[in-house]
Amino acid sequence: MKLGIVVQRYGAGINGGAELHARYIAERLARHHEVEVLTTCARDYVTWGNELPAGVEDVRGVPVRRFPVAHERNARTFGLRSEHVFRKTHSLQDELSWLDSEGPATPALVRHLERHRAGFDYFIFFSYRYYHSYHGIRRVPSQSILVPTAERDPAVGLALFPPVLRGARAIMFNSLEEQRMLQHVAGTGRTPSVVVGVGSEVPERVQPGRFRQRFGIDAPFVVYIGRIDENKGCNELFDYFQRYARVVPARLDLLLIGKSILPIPDHPRIHHLGFLEDEDKFDALGAAEALIMPSYFESLSMVALEAWALGKPVLANGRCDVLKGQAIRSNAALYYESFPEFAEALQAIVSSQSLKRALGQNGQLYFRQHYAWPVIEGKYLEMLDRLGRAPAGVHGVEPLPGYFARRRRVLPPAEDVLAAVPAGAVAGV
Amino acid sequence: MSDFNFRSDGIDVEQIMRQIRARIREKRGVDYTEQQIRELATAKLERFLDPDGVRSDLLERYRQHRITSASRPPSYAFEDTTLFESDKPLVRFLRRLLRPILKMLFNYNALNHVLHTQASINHHWLQVQATRDEHELLAYEVMHNLVLETTRLGIDVKNMKMRVESIASRLEFNERRARALEAVVQYRPDADAQRPAPDTEPAGGIDPITGGESLRTRRRRRRRGRRGPGTAVGNSTGVPPATAPEARGGFAQAPLPEDRPASGAGPAAQAAAPPPADRHDSGSEPSDQ
Repeated sequence: MKLGIVVQRYGAGINGGAELHARYIAERLARHHEVEVLTTCARDYVTWGNELPAGVEDVRGVPVRRFPVAHERNARTFGLRSEHVFRKTHSLQDELSWLDSEGPATPALVRHLERHRAGFDYFIFFSYRYYHSYHGIRRVPSQSILVPTAERDPAVGLALFPPVLRGARAIMFNSLEEQRMLQHVAGTGRTPSVVVGVGSEVPERVQPGRFRQRFGIDAPFVVYIGRIDENKGCNELFDYFQRYARVVPARLDLLLIGKSILPIPDHPRIHHLGFLEDEDKFDALGAAEALIMPSYFESLSMVALEAWALGKPVLANGRCDVLKGQAIRSNAALYYESFPEFAEALQAIVSSQSLKRALGQNGQLYFRQHYAWPVIEGKYLEMLDRLGRAPAGVHGVEPLPGYFARRRRVLPPAEDVLAAVPAGAVAGV
Repeated sequence: MSDFNFRSDGIDVEQIMRQIRARIREKRGVDYTEQQIRELATAKLERFLDPDGVRSDLLERYRQHRITSASRPPSYAFEDTTLFESDKPLVRFLRRLLRPILKMLFNYNALNHVLHTQASINHHWLQVQATRDEHELLAYEVMHNLVLETTRLGIDVKNMKMRVESIASRLEFNERRARALEAVVQYRPDADAQRPAPDTEPAGGIDPITGGESLRTRRRRRRRGRRGPGTAVGNSTGVPPATAPEARGGFAQAPLPEDRPASGAGPAAQAAAPPPADRHDSGSEPSDQ
């Protein structure tokens, strides 16, 4: 069986959530089937500039075919169009323009999919909201498997995605919350789907002592790993942690690991280590008291899974449905929705060895049961097998409306659509 | 966090979060955001203006008044020539021509005067009404702000009361703890050996009821205090003055049991008063897992 993995960026040094997810899946499925990655020449997800050479290269044993991006993203235009489609009554044509300005616009990749579709059994598309998934699934619907990596953001409320979501042959969800959300907005209930997520390359053993020695960290600490960005809830984390540090005199530091696009507060108990290699990152997790996940929008927090794999408790933002749902289902994380909850929950974790141990053990168990590689691979292979047994028949995406219908301003603001989507964690598995 | 003692199989995160929230409510009262305070204040204002309240229809009157203000009829001016005015010159000419005949039939000057006066009165009252409108809007705003501030103060008072209670209980706990520690020091065998002469007071002057010092012990300490530190060979604890601070320090730094901060207050409650330095005991624990 030949599989095509279609993703917006790909590379050993590209560590965005969906991109890393795609790489892990590609490398794992390559053990069972022939896999080729189809992606863009972009490295930067903000500009989508063509930084990598077009053509075929090998990345960790998987062939990767890159296509140039037709135009870079114009931040101003994209911002204006986002404002328009998210907050105002608009037309389908406005949404198509928004998609084009969001990028990465790669018509060459879409053409390649259409021309070479016979050479592939299935294409696995990552991230529903980008150009390649929307146009790609429209070209090859009967061969498309979608990994939406959808977060609860206004893009979910756009009218151009539901036909594509319904048109995909199968959907691999990251969480129950994502499944419920997309079923509500797109009516994907009849599409074959499974909640699968992704595993992680967690080392067997970590060396916390080596990390402490290398970075000169003596005090106990909690760690945040990821892009240090306002959208990830980092400003709130800084505020909460500084307030916590004022009222709890005992030494507990906050370590920030990741590229920062925010000013880091100048505080003696907050340390920014920048981007670290995987070895250092896992050692840091091993040395930490807990991982903090302040993000409001996540489709699946891989770093939380990694923390659980290492037996570390997680303190998550309870206003993110996915994180809260995972916390409740795993019984391995506490969550907060205000500063008092943040402070009390953090204090509970760091001051109670038994609680910390229990959360960590639950996390390890949860990871082994749901996110260990054999489980993930098994779910993908089972889906491929299921699709192979059930012929596609007449399968396609609903056609776009006509010229004038596309330009009729009748679509509600995406934010209003999103507001009507049920929120909150899904309790049961 | 003495209430958190778990086994991994018996843990329920939602239950823990409920406990945490209950603890926060218990210690700090109810926390409100600015928006919530406004909503509360609005609700209170509505209640205040409710028919069951002080004025049965105050709110309704405010609303009606606004509607009335919006649909107020326009004023008019009335002069002595108004009755005979017309936009058609011919009509105007005929009216002027026939005015002496009209004057013979009735005194239209009186009518002119009355209507002119009425127009002036109307104008005056419209001005008065406009001023009242402005004042009433201000009064409404002032009342609204007063209710808002009263709500805020009410919440603050409630929070303060809870904080005072919390601080009082912690103070009491610390006093008891201090008394208990002093009592332990007095019972130390090596301290007994160093005591210069047996005192007549039984068992180191511990009050059997409170667990603290007895009245006699406190009196003796006050007397020593008046004499000055250099005059006493030992102190009431039975430890020589040079060694007493170390002994006390040893108790203060004694390790607390796992999972148990020194005070029951969590960080959310500590915003009101700085906690004792030993309440967060995880700092000394190894973090490598």
